Amino acid sequence: MEWQVETTAAALVGRPIGKIDETTWEAFQVHLLAAVSQAAAASLPLVVDLSDLDYMSSRGLRVLKIAKDSAGAEAPITLAAPNDRMRQIIEISRYDMLFKVVADVASAV
Amino acid sequence: MLVRFWGTRGSLPVAQKANVIQAKIADALVAAGGRTFADVSEADAFARANLDFATYGAYGGATSCVEIEGADGAFVVCDMGSGLREFGIDSFRRIAEGHPPVYHLFLSHLHWDHIMGFPFFGPAFNPAATIVIHSGHADAETALRRQQEEISFPVPFEWLKAKFQFVVHKPGETFDAAGLTVSMVAQYHSHDSYGYRFEKTGRAVVYSTDSEHKLHNMDAEVVFERFFGAADLVICDTMYSLGDTLSLKQDWGHSSNIVAVDLCHSARAKRLALFHHEPTYSDADIQRMHNETIRYEELVRADRSPLEVICAYDGLEVIV
Repeated sequence: MEWQVETTAAALVGRPIGKIDETTWEAFQVHLLAAVSQAAAASLPLVVDLSDLDYMSSRGLRVLKIAKDSAGAEAPITLAAPNDRMRQIIEISRYDMLFKVVADVASAV
Repeated sequence: MLVRFWGTRGSLPVAQKANVIQAKIADALVAAGGRTFADVSEADAFARANLDFATYGAYGGATSCVEIEGADGAFVVCDMGSGLREFGIDSFRRIAEGHPPVYHLFLSHLHWDHIMGFPFFGPAFNPAATIVIHSGHADAETALRRQQEEISFPVPFEWLKAKFQFVVHKPGETFDAAGLTVSMVAQYHSHDSYGYRFEKTGRAVVYSTDSEHKLHNMDAEVVFERFFGAADLVICDTMYSLGDTLSLKQDWGHSSNIVAVDLCHSARAKRLALFHHEPTYSDADIQRMHNETIRYEELVRADRSPLEVICAYDGLEVIV
């Protein structure tokens, strides 16, 4: 799993690349929690761009919830551009009830 | 070994109302499309081939009770939910055919839905029966005796005729029960719960219910990956979706279907049985959850061998 982060005028966008499973979730957590802090410091919303993510298992999904709790209700995290596999995983896990999910990054901000 | 599910529902027994049965029959008639059948067996064959389980079946409503056949001269049962009543009746039939009246009962924990079948367990009144109750809880005997007190039930524990033995085990220890090698793991649940692993002749069955895998303690799941390791069947608490377990139902002591899949994948287990179904779920809800779990397993399988995902129902038998 690789991680890229980009700051735009409207949001801080974090982009995991590859897959997030039992072997990569800890690195994802480090990156994502750092992004939560960075977004808060910049007073920007955080968008997780899933366009280059193959899939994540429950380990990655749970990291998203840890990040959501860390960010707090005032700083919602948006999930953007899931591929078809990730869209199904989000639906099966009912994460579409926990997170705003949008078709692309532009729609997130 | 053979695993027989006598009760698969979580928290509270449920029963089908007339309107639910009527809807199933109406769906079946629509599917038949005006066909005629020579006899019941022909109609049964059509229904099995053309109707889903939620229409031509039911997941059942008895609470947790799972029998594991294959011990030497003893019945082995996990939990005493309301399914225990029917197991007890069936055990009389088998005793009449020559089975010894010896029972090894394993308790995951002492909450009501897991012990409520005990007051209706006929073999407890059989003076020829020996009943060994295995638990990780030192207060298991207190829980069963308290349930028989007059304020709750008219038959006190002292009136029971079987020979009782309560055995308290520690997590991590391995012991023998009627020829099965048994180990136990501590689980996160109110007042604690315990999972059991039963092994014989190279086959392994794991019973892990009422077990929450905590959000901030994912590192601890390695214990369960080892405990489930290469098991032929893992019976797992899959009461809720992951989203539910991390929001409204956080700290309720239960797990999700997709965490169960991930644990079984890491453990290289061969088959997962979804278990401890939410009592408010209809048959269609449970079937949908089953189908979604099968799909999730495919989506995250990667290069692993396929994990077979089955959905436990009252009456299901699985050969291991």
